[in-house]
Amino acid sequence: MKLLDFSSMFFTIAFLVYCVAFILYGVAVMGRVWRNRDPEQHMKKWGRLSFLVSTLGLVAHLIYFFTRWAGAGHIPVSNMFEFMSTLSMMIIIAFTVIFIIYRKTLLGLFAVPIAIIIMAYAAVFPQEAQPLIPSLQSWWLQVHVTMAALGESFFAIGFAAGFMYLLRTVDFNSKEKSDRRQQRGVEFTLLSIVVVIGFIASVYAFRVGGYESVFTQEQESKVSRVEYKLPPIVAPYQSKVESFQSFLGMKEPLFEAPSWMVGINAGRKLNTIIWSVLAGLILYALIRLILRKPLGRAIHPLLKGLDADDLDEITYRSIAIGFPIFTLGALIFAMMWAQIAWGRFWGWDPKEVWALITWLFYSVYLHLRLSRGWQGKKSAWLAVLGFMIVMFTLVGVNLVIAGLHSYAGTN
Amino acid sequence: MIPDILSFKNTKCECGHQNPVGTVLCEACGKPISKEDQESDKLLEMRYDGMARRSQRSTPNMIDRIWNFFSSVKIAVYMIVLTLLGSMFGTIFPQESTFLNIDAATYYPETYGTAGLIYYKLGLSHTYESWWFVLLLVMIGASLVICSLDRVLPLYKALSKRKIRKHMQFLTRQKVVYQTRLDEDEEVWINNIVPALKKRGYRVHTDGSALLAEKYRFSRWGPYILHIGLIIFLLAVLARGLPGLNMDQHLAFPEGEIKPIPNTSFYLKNEKFTVEYYTEDDLPEEFKGKGKMLPKLFQTQATLYECTADCKDPSKEPQLVEVDSHPIEVNDPLNYKGLKAYQFDFDTNPILRSVTPSLIEKKTGKDIGQFKLDIRNPERTYQVGEYTLNLVEKYMDFGMNDLGEPVSISPNPNAPSFLFLIKGPNLPAEGVQYFYFPKQIDKQRFQQDIINEKLAGAYNLFELDVDGMSNVDFSMSTTYLNIRVDKVMPFVWLGSAIGMLGLVMGFYWQHRRIWIRIDEGDLTLAAHTNKNWFGIRKEITVVLQKVNMEVDEKSLDNGGNQV
Repeated sequence: MKLLDFSSMFFTIAFLVYCVAFILYGVAVMGRVWRNRDPEQHMKKWGRLSFLVSTLGLVAHLIYFFTRWAGAGHIPVSNMFEFMSTLSMMIIIAFTVIFIIYRKTLLGLFAVPIAIIIMAYAAVFPQEAQPLIPSLQSWWLQVHVTMAALGESFFAIGFAAGFMYLLRTVDFNSKEKSDRRQQRGVEFTLLSIVVVIGFIASVYAFRVGGYESVFTQEQESKVSRVEYKLPPIVAPYQSKVESFQSFLGMKEPLFEAPSWMVGINAGRKLNTIIWSVLAGLILYALIRLILRKPLGRAIHPLLKGLDADDLDEITYRSIAIGFPIFTLGALIFAMMWAQIAWGRFWGWDPKEVWALITWLFYSVYLHLRLSRGWQGKKSAWLAVLGFMIVMFTLVGVNLVIAGLHSYAGTN
Repeated sequence: MIPDILSFKNTKCECGHQNPVGTVLCEACGKPISKEDQESDKLLEMRYDGMARRSQRSTPNMIDRIWNFFSSVKIAVYMIVLTLLGSMFGTIFPQESTFLNIDAATYYPETYGTAGLIYYKLGLSHTYESWWFVLLLVMIGASLVICSLDRVLPLYKALSKRKIRKHMQFLTRQKVVYQTRLDEDEEVWINNIVPALKKRGYRVHTDGSALLAEKYRFSRWGPYILHIGLIIFLLAVLARGLPGLNMDQHLAFPEGEIKPIPNTSFYLKNEKFTVEYYTEDDLPEEFKGKGKMLPKLFQTQATLYECTADCKDPSKEPQLVEVDSHPIEVNDPLNYKGLKAYQFDFDTNPILRSVTPSLIEKKTGKDIGQFKLDIRNPERTYQVGEYTLNLVEKYMDFGMNDLGEPVSISPNPNAPSFLFLIKGPNLPAEGVQYFYFPKQIDKQRFQQDIINEKLAGAYNLFELDVDGMSNVDFSMSTTYLNIRVDKVMPFVWLGSAIGMLGLVMGFYWQHRRIWIRIDEGDLTLAAHTNKNWFGIRKEITVVLQKVNMEVDEKSLDNGGNQV
C-alpha cells in the first residue's frame, strides 16, 4: 500500500472516530436527565469516554497528516483539501487544550461537529497530492499556514463556546424586542451552519449520482469550457450548452447569470451557492418539521444547568490564547514570507487584507471586553461574528474575490 | 492649575493619604473616594487600580481636549472599526496597484460596468493609498501613543505604591472574596500560608496579620509593549514614503545581457534563465494526460556588477566590477547590501539581439560585404566595401501613428526597423534612403520592398539580406526581476517583534494579587487578576487546601462579571 493511500485511510478513520465522539458527547450531555442515574456521575463517566474517543480521532488525524507529509514530500497545506483538513485537525487540538484547562464536557458537543463539518467540506475538493509550484517551495509554508490555522482554531473554539453561551442565556420565551432579535440571530447562525451542511450534502449526492453538464462560453474569440457537477439552475452568462444531463425533468438551465458576473466560473459558483441555499433551506425545513419549534429553542434546554459565566470565560480565554498565535502566524510570518517571495511584506492582496480585518476585529473584541466591559451576550455575539469573518477569509475570499492566494482549485 | 484648585474636591482619604483629582480608589489603602461609591456594595472598578488619569482633568483646555479625544478607548475602537470597514471595501474589486500598467479610468468601467465606474470614482480602486485611509492609520497611531501614556504612568504608580493592609471595602468588593472565622493564632496562620503561596510563584509581603501576595506583574505591561511595537511598525511604514528609503522597479533582463539598473550604480547580467516543469511522473493521476503544465522551478543565474568609473559618460564604456552572483529563485532573492532582486516573471519568446546582413547588389546578386547590426545599440555608420550606411532612424517596435508617420509604439524590440542612408559609387551624392526590417515576418507585414521602391525610385539598387541562421543572434529568454531597496525593513521587523513580545506577555501570563487581613480572628481574603478568573480561583483553592481549608472554587466568586 502506498503511503498516500495509507494516509487517506486514516483521514476516513479520523472522520468516523470524530462522528462516534460526537455521539458520545451527546450521550454524556443529554443522558444526564435519563432515569436511574446521578447526573454528576453520568457526565463524569461519559465525558471521560468521549474525550478519550475524540483524542483517538486526533491521533488518527495526526497519522493522516504526517504520512501525507512524508508521502507527498511537503507539508499538506498546499491546496484547499489539505488546508481544510489541517484546519479541522487544529480545531481538535485547540479543543483538547481548552478542555484540559476547563474540563467542560459540553464544549465537545459543539467543538467536535465544527471539525466534522470542516473535514467533510475539505473532502469536497480534489484530494490528489500535487507537487509544489515555485512560490510555495519555502520553509515558511510550514510555519505560516500551521500557525495561522492554529490561531483560527482557537477562534473556532471561542465561537463554539460563545454560541453555547447564547443558546444557554438567550430568553427563548420572551416576546420583547431585544430578545426577539437575539432569537433570530441564534436561528440565523444555526441556519448558516445548516446551509453549509446542505452544500456538502448536495455535492456528495450528485457526485455519487455522477452528474455532469458542460457549458461553453465564447468571449473575445476565446472559448472557455466549464463542467457543472450540480444541475445547472443558472448557466454562465451568454453560454452554450455542450451537454446537458436532465435532472427531475429539468432539460435546460432555468436562467442565465447576469452580465456583471465576469468569467465562466462565476456562473458555476453562483449555481453552487443557489444549490447550497436551497438544500440548506429544505434541510432546515425538515428539521423544523420534526422538532416543531425553532432550532435554537430546541437546543436551549440541553444546556440547562450549565454555568454561563464559565462559557463566557472560555470564549474569552480561547480568543485570548488564539490572538497572539494568529498575529504571529497570519500576519508576522505572512509578512516575512511575502518579503522573501514577492519582495514586499505587504501588498494589500485580498487574503492579506482579510487577515488584517480578522485581526482588527478581534482586537476590537479585546478592547471592548477589557476596557469597556463588554461581557456576556455582547461579547458572545462578537465571538460568533468573528468566526464568520475567519471563515470568509479562509473560504469566501478564494470563492468570491481570489487574488495571489488562489492556489487551490475552489469548487 | 487654578481651575483645578477652584474645583477642589476633598480627595484626602481617611488613612491620611492625599490623592490626586480623579482618583477612584485611594492610592494607599484602596478605599473608594466618592461618597456614592462608599455607600454602594457593587464590585469595585479596578481598571488602572482606580488611579487618576490625565484625561480625567475636571476642566480641560484645548490640549486636554485633544488628549482626551485620543485617549478614549471608545474613539480608538471606532477608528479600528472604520479602518476595518475601509479595508473591506478595498477588496471588492482588485486594486490599481495589482496591475503594472493599466488606465484605471477606463479599466474599471470596462471590466466591471457601472459598479466599476462608481468604485473608481469613489477612489476605492486605490483605497489603501487614499488620504482618508492613511489619516485613519495616523490617527490610530496617535491614539496608541496617547492611550498608552494616559494609562501606563498611573498604573505604574498604582502598582508601586502599595499598602499591605487594605481597607475592608476594598477587599469585600473585589471579584474574588473569601471570608471565614479563624480558630488559630493569626500570625501563625499567616506564616503557614506564606510558603504555600511562595511555592506557586508569589512574592509575599506581610505586615503583622495582613498579607499581600503578587505574581507576574510584568504581564500588565504587555498591552503597552504591544502598542510600542505597533507605533514603531506604523512609523516605519509611513517612513517608506520618504524619498530614498524605498525603491521598487520591474526590469526585463534578456539572457546574456548586462543591463544597468536605473538610479543606481549597479548593473545586472542574466547569465542564464531556467524554467523547469514537473514531469508526468511527478503529477497526480488526475492531471496525467491532460497536458497540464505545472512549473517546478524559475531560476535566473544573475551576476551583479558595480560601476566604478565612467558611469555617466556615454562616450566611454563603464568600468564594471563583479560584486555578487546568485541563482535567483522565487523564494530566494539576490541580496547585496540591501539591494534585492526578486524573480518576478519571465518570457521564453526569443528576442533578436543582432543580425549580420550582407549588402547585395540586386541586379547581379553580388555580395558587397557584411556588417553586424546590434538591434539595441546600433552604430551611427557602417562601412561596407566602398559603401557607407548612415543610420538615420531606428524603431524598436515599428508602427504608424494617426498621421501615417512611422513611430516606435513601444521600447521593446518586437518589430525592430532601421532607416539607413546609403552612399557610394553609382548612387546620388546625397545618398539613397533604405528601410530595413531584420525580421522576415516584419519585412512582409510592413512591405519593406514597396517602401524602399518609393523611397529610392530608380536608385533602388541594393538590399540588405541575412544569409542563414548563423548570421542571426537571439537571446533565448527574458527574465523580469523586481529590483528593490527597502531601508525601513529592520524597523518593521523590530516593531513586529516588540509587538509580539507584548502580546505573549499580556496574554499568556496574568497579573495576580491576593490580599489577606485578619481582624480579631475574622479572616478576609480577596484577589484580583487582569485576566483568567477561573485560574486564580483554582489557585486560591489549592493554596487554601495546603492550610487545611476546603473551599469550593465557585463559592469564591463574588458575582459580577469582570474579565
